[in-house]
Amino acid sequence: MNKLLRLENLKVFVENREILSGVNLEVNSGEFHVLMGQNGSGKSTLALTIMGHPGYRVEGVMEYKGEDLKSLFVDERARRGIFLAFQHPAEIEGVRIIDYARLVLEKVRSVPREKSYDMVVEKGREVNLNEEELKRYINVGFSGGERKRIELLLALLLEPDLVILDEPDSGVDVDSLSLISKKLHEMQRSGKSVLLITHYGRILQHVEPSEVKVHVMRKGKIVLSGHRDLVRKIEEQGFDSLFKECGCDE
Amino acid sequence: MSELTMQDAKSIIEDQIETLKKRNKEPEWVTELRYKGLKAFLEAPHSDPILNDPLDFIVQDEQIPEIHNLNELPEDMKKLLDSLGIAEVEKKYVAGIAVQSDTSMVLNDFMKAWREKGLVMVSMEDAVREFPAVKEKFMKMFNPYESKLAAYHTAVWNGGVFLHVKSGLKVPVPMHLFFIIQNSAMAQAPHIIIDAEPGSYIHLIEGCTSPVLVRHSLHLDMTEAYIGNGAKVMLSVLQNWPEYVHTRPMTRAIVGKKAEFINTTVGLGTGRSNIANPRYFVDANGYAEMNGILLGNKDFYVDIGGEIELVGEGARGINTSKSVLMDESKVITRGLIKAKAPKTKGHISCDALILNSKAKMETYPGLISEVDDAELSHEAAIGKIREEELFYLMSRGLKEEEATQLIVKGFVDPLLKDIPAEFVIEIRKIIEMSLGGM
Repeated sequence: MNKLLRLENLKVFVENREILSGVNLEVNSGEFHVLMGQNGSGKSTLALTIMGHPGYRVEGVMEYKGEDLKSLFVDERARRGIFLAFQHPAEIEGVRIIDYARLVLEKVRSVPREKSYDMVVEKGREVNLNEEELKRYINVGFSGGERKRIELLLALLLEPDLVILDEPDSGVDVDSLSLISKKLHEMQRSGKSVLLITHYGRILQHVEPSEVKVHVMRKGKIVLSGHRDLVRKIEEQGFDSLFKECGCDE
Repeated sequence: MSELTMQDAKSIIEDQIETLKKRNKEPEWVTELRYKGLKAFLEAPHSDPILNDPLDFIVQDEQIPEIHNLNELPEDMKKLLDSLGIAEVEKKYVAGIAVQSDTSMVLNDFMKAWREKGLVMVSMEDAVREFPAVKEKFMKMFNPYESKLAAYHTAVWNGGVFLHVKSGLKVPVPMHLFFIIQNSAMAQAPHIIIDAEPGSYIHLIEGCTSPVLVRHSLHLDMTEAYIGNGAKVMLSVLQNWPEYVHTRPMTRAIVGKKAEFINTTVGLGTGRSNIANPRYFVDANGYAEMNGILLGNKDFYVDIGGEIELVGEGARGINTSKSVLMDESKVITRGLIKAKAPKTKGHISCDALILNSKAKMETYPGLISEVDDAELSHEAAIGKIREEELFYLMSRGLKEEEATQLIVKGFVDPLLKDIPAEFVIEIRKIIEMSLGGM
């Protein structure tokens, strides 16, 4: 199995405050990882760190396909196949989704301009975004569910090797949730590696259960890893009691 | 400082007036008005932060050959029109094009066909001779004693158009008018009158450019717009001047009852300095929009005022500007809305993106209400590109420069809604080019 992402004793400081305190994680190609944890445990920071947030100071090992990620800018990481579906994607007034998507296809995937329009519209249909919606400005005036589907659309268009999704299921209605879950399953089947941040097991409804690896973060570290049944356990008894049980509440 | 004395200037302007009088075979009232302008020039105040000495721009002009149709244009000018996308526009819409090269004017066949329906677009030189109505409209909204530059314009105005739209006539395609400075020695001072009779509709696009690097040229245009009750006029001005042109556009508009005036100025190259202070007067239930997109680069200086007076009940006015500042450019916006009648509404919004720490932006919104039930508001946002937006766009693989271009084009996009697609493409290209060297 190909090693895709390797994090070893990863520490992240934001304005000199330590947010991640030694994360260890390996993601191999084709694997499906789920990252859970209470609010403020560092899940989003980890996602943004892997993507290359410019405001963070990073220590420790962070390798992608054997290359040190720390020295690469965000766009260089994207061009190497890392994709982050943001929890709170930016609103960009004046920039239409379709124009952005086409430019990305052209510059990053070398898709000829005359083909990109149809490509975006076709993938848009798969995530329930019609042509009119695609001509609106990025995330401006879109509902939570629509924003998550815009992120998903870009993931489908870019075909990255590593897809990180930060709470694609928060603020989303039942229909969108089911659609996102199905798309995750498609990614899983097509051999992509997925790192999914979530609070709910429901988003895994369409995902192959046997292949899911689950990690739990607490205070900037991964304190517990396991399989799909760990998700159920968290949902049933909550984090606090789980941490007591495993003795990782120190 | 100019080597000329005021006395030298007086005799040069006198010569120019006499030349124009003879060349244009002007009616007497026009020549009288010119001499009134000359008198005002000697007496009117001069205050301009960039042009210290108005005499610098008083120069002998040369004879320009008259051009009667597009085929007679010099080769390089045809190329220029092509590069501006004008040939394309013409092909697509078969729209009216009038090209003004210094003082000569070129009209095409479309115009001749629409003449019969009640659309008149003639050079101002012809208009003052052939249309008696012009006398009632010419220089009625300006006073030459306002400033030396207004006075100078009055004395030596040359070129420009008279646009008249018959009552109820709706012109479905935008009309294009292009000013091109070729002769560097001259002050180009076109005079434009838009006379839209009640219930009519027209969209006029003015394009301004200069194909050669002219030395210290001055563009001194004056526009008077009369918009009849229930009429709608859209005036889109695209400026792309090279470094050395100073532009002092002067615009006044009277917007009738339930009439609309949408004026959008896109200043991609506003010239070395551009100072404008348009004034609109809006009657009952009328609506005026004064929109500006300004791209500041090099050490350009742009000072754009804009006054909307809401004089009739229920009149509305919006003043919006979006400026992108690069290099060491400086942009000042001074929107002013005066509510003088009940139930009027006005809004000023000023946004600026500052891409270089040496660039400067100042904004002075002004709201004056003389009644107690007007709704006036303003908002301003001046800042750098938000890091969050840049990070988001780059996280899909766009380089910083590509993401920046996208943000800047997006920043101005909401104001381009009335500009034909061909021009929007051209405008986006020019923005990309200006940002390319960052």
